[in-house]
Amino acid sequence: MLLTRSDVEVILGEALAGGGDLAEIFVERRRTNTISLEGERIEKVNSGLDQGAGIRLLAGESSIYVFTNDLSLAGLKTAAQTAAAALAEGKAGRRLIRLGSADDAPPPPVRKGDMRDKVAIVAAAEKEARAAGDAIRQVMVSYGDNEQEILVANTNGRVATDRRYRTTLVINVVAGDGSNVQTGYESLGGTQGLELLSVDKVRELGARAARRALLLLRARPAPAGRMAVVMAGEAGGTMIHEACGHGLEADIVGKEMSVYAGKLGQRVASELVTVIDDPTLPGKYGSYSCDDEGTPAQKTVLIENGILKTYMYDLEWARRQGKSSTGNGRRQSFHFPPIPRMSNTYLAPGDVHPEEIIARTERGLLVKRMGGGQVNPTTGDFVFEVAEGYLIERGKITVPVRGATLSGNGPQALMAVDLVGNDLGFAIGTCGKDGQGVPVSDAQPTIRIPELVVGGLL
Amino acid sequence: MNPQELVQAGIQQAERAGADQAEAFFLEHSSLTIEVRGGRLETLRQSKECGIGLRVLKGGSLGYAFTSDLSSRALADAAREAVANAGYVAPDPARTLPLPATTDPSRAQHDPVISDVPISAKIDLALAIERAAFAEDKRVTKSERAAYEEVEYRVAIGNSHGLQVSYRGNFCGGYAWVVAEADGDAETGSGLAYTTRFGELDPEAIGREAAREAVRLLGAKPISTQKLALVLPPQTASQLLGILAPALTAEAVQKKRSLFAGRLGEQVASDVVTIVDDGTLPGGINTSPVDGEGVPTQRTVLVSAGVLEAFLHNSYTAAKEGTRSTGNGMRSSFKGAPEVGPTNMFFVPGQVRPEDLLAGVDKGLYVCDLLGTHTANPISGDFSLGATGILIEKGRFTRPVRGVVIAGNVVGLLKEVQAVASDLRFYLGFGSPTLLVQPLTVSGE
Repeated sequence: MLLTRSDVEVILGEALAGGGDLAEIFVERRRTNTISLEGERIEKVNSGLDQGAGIRLLAGESSIYVFTNDLSLAGLKTAAQTAAAALAEGKAGRRLIRLGSADDAPPPPVRKGDMRDKVAIVAAAEKEARAAGDAIRQVMVSYGDNEQEILVANTNGRVATDRRYRTTLVINVVAGDGSNVQTGYESLGGTQGLELLSVDKVRELGARAARRALLLLRARPAPAGRMAVVMAGEAGGTMIHEACGHGLEADIVGKEMSVYAGKLGQRVASELVTVIDDPTLPGKYGSYSCDDEGTPAQKTVLIENGILKTYMYDLEWARRQGKSSTGNGRRQSFHFPPIPRMSNTYLAPGDVHPEEIIARTERGLLVKRMGGGQVNPTTGDFVFEVAEGYLIERGKITVPVRGATLSGNGPQALMAVDLVGNDLGFAIGTCGKDGQGVPVSDAQPTIRIPELVVGGLL
Repeated sequence: MNPQELVQAGIQQAERAGADQAEAFFLEHSSLTIEVRGGRLETLRQSKECGIGLRVLKGGSLGYAFTSDLSSRALADAAREAVANAGYVAPDPARTLPLPATTDPSRAQHDPVISDVPISAKIDLALAIERAAFAEDKRVTKSERAAYEEVEYRVAIGNSHGLQVSYRGNFCGGYAWVVAEADGDAETGSGLAYTTRFGELDPEAIGREAAREAVRLLGAKPISTQKLALVLPPQTASQLLGILAPALTAEAVQKKRSLFAGRLGEQVASDVVTIVDDGTLPGGINTSPVDGEGVPTQRTVLVSAGVLEAFLHNSYTAAKEGTRSTGNGMRSSFKGAPEVGPTNMFFVPGQVRPEDLLAGVDKGLYVCDLLGTHTANPISGDFSLGATGILIEKGRFTRPVRGVVIAGNVVGLLKEVQAVASDLRFYLGFGSPTLLVQPLTVSGE
């Protein structure tokens, strides 16, 4: 434990001394290692230790958060008193807090390896990417791992600990042909150690990033206009995450900023669409055994055959709406209060073979890799860039195109989905919301949306 | 130990662990954020954290480690890790630590009023922002958030060459996001302002701006694909600098990741465009006596009348080219070595008033918001951004527009800038006046 049980009880008592409904302490100790390679050289190796605690106080619809990296009992008591003073209700008096018992399963073992192993992985990815062709100008590889130990306890008596080990490998390749310069990107990450990064997998990743950059060199500028869009499973579920998932987070809903507000039990998507959030998937990048409020992780069906079933809740928004937490209260680190967040979010597979979806499309855009995107949750309008796209003409994949973006409206697009494949492809990412980044994964089968606005290069 | 003593202890520990040279960077960072909604305090966040980062050189290789556990044991562990990490890194003669230089302590942006004002007054300030938004227009129906925010920092830097400098600074600001509704349509608008002087913060102005931005988009509809001149107000034009800034660093040039590589002295923008980075700008949010490795800050003209004049440097990129650092060794945390980055970067304003600039537009789009600026490709400069705006016909606003996409290349866009107005405004570290861009294709329905 990062703190003794009696210390935690004392600190929570101080936090609630000025009134309030719930006090919570989140203690974190995180060791990180990062390696970056660029210009055929290992450029940076960085190791670090960051530790601290955040104290949260909920009172009615107000919430107070104070954090510090002074983990001494005196330092934490001061932070708790600061929180109590900020609430300034000036009543209550000290309360006696008794914590329940934590029955946390030990996390599965991971292969941590030493810095030498990690440097070798980075070098192997680089070598493979560079070998892909003379047009490869730059290869950048970054490796990161972090081991996060947390303790979270609150005045409802909840106490939980978790230990999460995450590893990521990211490869960026720049290819050039005269003044035509294009990039390719690949990443892999999970709640795993070096077992995630076998030599074969790492080489494959390097080669794929390089192939994408080379492909874009000979890609035609994307056409602009309205057309059918087929999103391949291997594109990952970025669209589901951005255009649907955020609108199902209880805080966005509760603030009436979501297009999905007030639509529980209603049809919000095509009946082919089932959307699930599941942090219990083993080894995935967004997985955890308890969330950052100590609520056990659970699988949550958000949309079932097109019908909206539930939103994603943390403790605060569950309390406000008279629901239970769905175990989606997450935070980037002790620097932040938890908010409702996705974990591993996916659109469930259907029964059509992906090749058949393409064959049944007369003209359209096939998206094999999504880039970044942005969504306005109030309207559901989105814009995504397409990192790897091809034209579909008369049911066949023809030429690669570059510079395409997809813009449309999330709920409308999900309502329009008319084909759902029987595959499922994952992508990882760091999801940003309210200035906090948390590790997530998202996935989808190959799907077809009969019409979206494609913005091309003009 | 005080910050200066910690820095000295860090340097000594690293040297004892085998470093040829060492640098220690201490940062203490405090912040306060107050968010209100519907006339009540919704969240209050207060923080204080500190940590130390050690950058060491051994055999010409650089190693790094950091800790926020400031015990002497944790500091010694970090020192050993930094030295061990250097053993895996390729040696590079350009890795050097800067020599001591004369600094101007008056550049520290520290307004004691920011920390002296009691929290209750700051809650009132956030509430005033929200009230002003609702008072501005009846169609404002919801407030997503109105907030007061402040940041305070203390920095100490030292290295084996005897460089030793410390300073502190702070700034504060406020913002609001509101929703306006009419005839079944809902639109969001935001207002935002940050300043290094508490007395300059005007809560009513922030609220009014958020309301106006939301209301003016009510009834927005798509338009057909057409060629339109673009009028980019400071809020959207400054976002272009976010795309351009990485390409204007020597780091990107040396790593062949800049679209400006090899183009010094060339016309890269129309002759009305001048871009400056100024770490000494009085009152600037990112103004300070020194950068993140102790080098004095300066004013650097990057693009002058459309001609590319200079790139931003830190000690490393400067050593690689045998030139001087421009004081742009930026670090936002103790967890990493300094990168190259902008301080206060802005388009230098022109003479014409924004309303006069608008009056001369026959057919154009006043761009209120750009979606997805972070998706622009910083290497090629290609972008494809969703936009909302207001159609301009014969010099007048006619109707609000949404769902259009503006695509192109950021350098292409710079060459098409026809006029620069006088209304320079900063959004944190980036500033711009209103820009007028020659007609380009805006894709809609």
